[in-house]
Amino acid sequence: MSTAIDDAGDRRGKRVMWTYIVCGLSIFTLMLLVGILLRGSQAAWFALDAGVFYSLLSLHGVGMLTALTISGLGTLWYLVNRETPLNEGVAYVAFSLFVGGVAAVIVSVVVGHYGALWTMLYPLPFVGTYWPSWATGAWLIGTLLVMVGFTIWCAQILGALVVRFGGLNGMLGIDYVLRNRAFVQSGKEPPAPEMFAAAITAIDGFIAATAGLLVGIALLVHWLDPTVALDPLWAKNLTYMFGHTFANLTMYMAVAGIYVGLPLCTKRSYHTSVQLTVAWWATLTFVIIAYFHHLYMDFAQAQSVQYIGEIASYLAAIPVVVVTVYGGVLLVHRSGMRWTLGSMFLFAGMIGWVVGGFAAVLDATIPVNVDLHNTLWVPGHFHTYLLEGVVLFTLGWVFVNLEARSGGQTSALVRWLVGVGMFGGGALFLLSFYLAGAAGVPRRYAVEPAPGPFFANIATIGALVLLAGFILAASEALRLARLKPAHVPL
Amino acid sequence: MNSRRTTAAVILAVTVAGAVLPPLLGAADLPTAQHHLAHSALIAGAVFAGVLFALPSRDTQVGHYGWLLTATLAPIAAMLLMWPSKYTWFEVHPAGHVVEHLGLVGLGFLSGYAGQRYAAGIGWASGLSLFAMAFASAWGFGVAPPGAIAASVSPHATKAGSAVAGPPDPVRGKTLFAQNCAACHGSNGGGGQGPSLLHERERKSFTLAQQWIIDPAPPMPKLYPASLSRTDVRDVAAYVEQL
Repeated sequence: MSTAIDDAGDRRGKRVMWTYIVCGLSIFTLMLLVGILLRGSQAAWFALDAGVFYSLLSLHGVGMLTALTISGLGTLWYLVNRETPLNEGVAYVAFSLFVGGVAAVIVSVVVGHYGALWTMLYPLPFVGTYWPSWATGAWLIGTLLVMVGFTIWCAQILGALVVRFGGLNGMLGIDYVLRNRAFVQSGKEPPAPEMFAAAITAIDGFIAATAGLLVGIALLVHWLDPTVALDPLWAKNLTYMFGHTFANLTMYMAVAGIYVGLPLCTKRSYHTSVQLTVAWWATLTFVIIAYFHHLYMDFAQAQSVQYIGEIASYLAAIPVVVVTVYGGVLLVHRSGMRWTLGSMFLFAGMIGWVVGGFAAVLDATIPVNVDLHNTLWVPGHFHTYLLEGVVLFTLGWVFVNLEARSGGQTSALVRWLVGVGMFGGGALFLLSFYLAGAAGVPRRYAVEPAPGPFFANIATIGALVLLAGFILAASEALRLARLKPAHVPL
Repeated sequence: MNSRRTTAAVILAVTVAGAVLPPLLGAADLPTAQHHLAHSALIAGAVFAGVLFALPSRDTQVGHYGWLLTATLAPIAAMLLMWPSKYTWFEVHPAGHVVEHLGLVGLGFLSGYAGQRYAAGIGWASGLSLFAMAFASAWGFGVAPPGAIAASVSPHATKAGSAVAGPPDPVRGKTLFAQNCAACHGSNGGGGQGPSLLHERERKSFTLAQQWIIDPAPPMPKLYPASLSRTDVRDVAAYVEQL
């Protein structure tokens, strides 16, 4: 890949990237433990007060998404910085806002016992009976800080890409697709694939953050001044426009790992193609309105919007998954790629993305949604694409970097154990969600009285096995990080 | 001054006139939703002027990061200025209303100008973001849906709404209003020393209006339960909802 910055710039970029990733994965680890507590309590391994359960569920949701977003933003920031130099001060300002936001949310939950879940649907945060008003305020301020940090990040990347590629036309490869022959003959090159991931994250992230800031400020004003009433359906639309897009973008950030990491493993290049560019356009256009599938049961919502939501859900996910994974598989096919932890995670992440994406598309299909949406199927699908997609891409990117930097190798036994833990434990954990969802077990419930704690038992065992694999992988990452640099360039 | 900046100056002048004149002429007494829309129109003009005023950048580097932070934070400050319950207060204090409008125009201009100074095109993005927030506010920020859904907003409000049996009597409420409220809010509720209550139903549901009378924020005096009974509160709120 072309490098537009000097070594010092690259070092600064890496410092930003590792700051983000280490922080993101640390929060992830904490939230993983919280998640195991939740499933363990549903499995009746120990008793959690229902209020504590909902507080921890709120923390787990927002914490996980913020953790994975921080990791993804760090990676993309570094990749964009290689293309066009970025101001690292801005990255640290955004980072500080993320950290401040997470701290406020933790205080809100741990000290204030806020429990209206991460979606903070109006008017739930204001009608809680077991948390004080200040806890709602701390939660709102925390999420607003995260939104402001995200907006700053998006604006910085957007500005840099616009300048680097001479406007939206160049940045999105419009000429490359619509006037392909002239474009190629002129000797120009389209943006690298990972630049599309950055551009779509920045554009859709900026739009989503606009919705998030509006509803966040409205909720904050309502908290300060209860006479300011809000329209609940309006608030729900804005909340999901931000929340669903934010959650989806974590995947599109992490996909950069395939475009940059997999070529390093296979010694081949992942080129931008017309198909890839058009697939990213579909995501750009539709990911922002795919959230309508969360409002199928809001009968006050216009019916036309529901159908738009269904089609948008398909078009946001399917083209980019198909093109990217197809390209990724071709890259690996007969490449003689060595199965290191880095390549293993990246490849397995593609499988998680496909499975989680398929389950999401099923849920977005209206006749299926009616039966599945309020069940554990939904956490099943987003745990699949987050845990076995985003997390694996992130870990893959981390290990590809560490392996390249140190030249170190992981023993076959450790690779096998990590694989059993992360994939085997993960599969067990996720399967319990899907089976429970198909059996009609409701989501967002502290207890699972019917059909009993069976599925939660499987989930907790799976999660513990996964945790063991993750701890082993983290120890291996620390070992590789301590090895003397081998000066192998990325 | 080139033609682009001249155009920007003209647009800004028209926008400022639109911000200043309606409150001074008493033409800014609007329901919340329309108030938001009027604000979004002011913001559109200001953003447009701001973007035009910042000459197009052909740089190969982005501008100073201070412009980026300003462009990002200006819309947030503007949205806080669009605090709906303050509209009523602003409507009876024209000077304050003018200041609020000028604040919105200034922040709108800043979001467009600063964004554009950071990188060509970012002014449009940041300005459009602010405009979209102001415009979308008309459908829910301080605007409860019909049917007093806000009754569910606070347990206190629910108690206030369900404390009195029987239908409210707005005719009786009008008499009580003349005796207890008109001195500050005007004989027809159009405002005076206190804010205008015209279109109050668009700002507060029937339940919230009762809650407000029961437990008002200063400087409004607390008339319940010393001067107004629970039934009186209900009837006064019913009258106010008709204004």
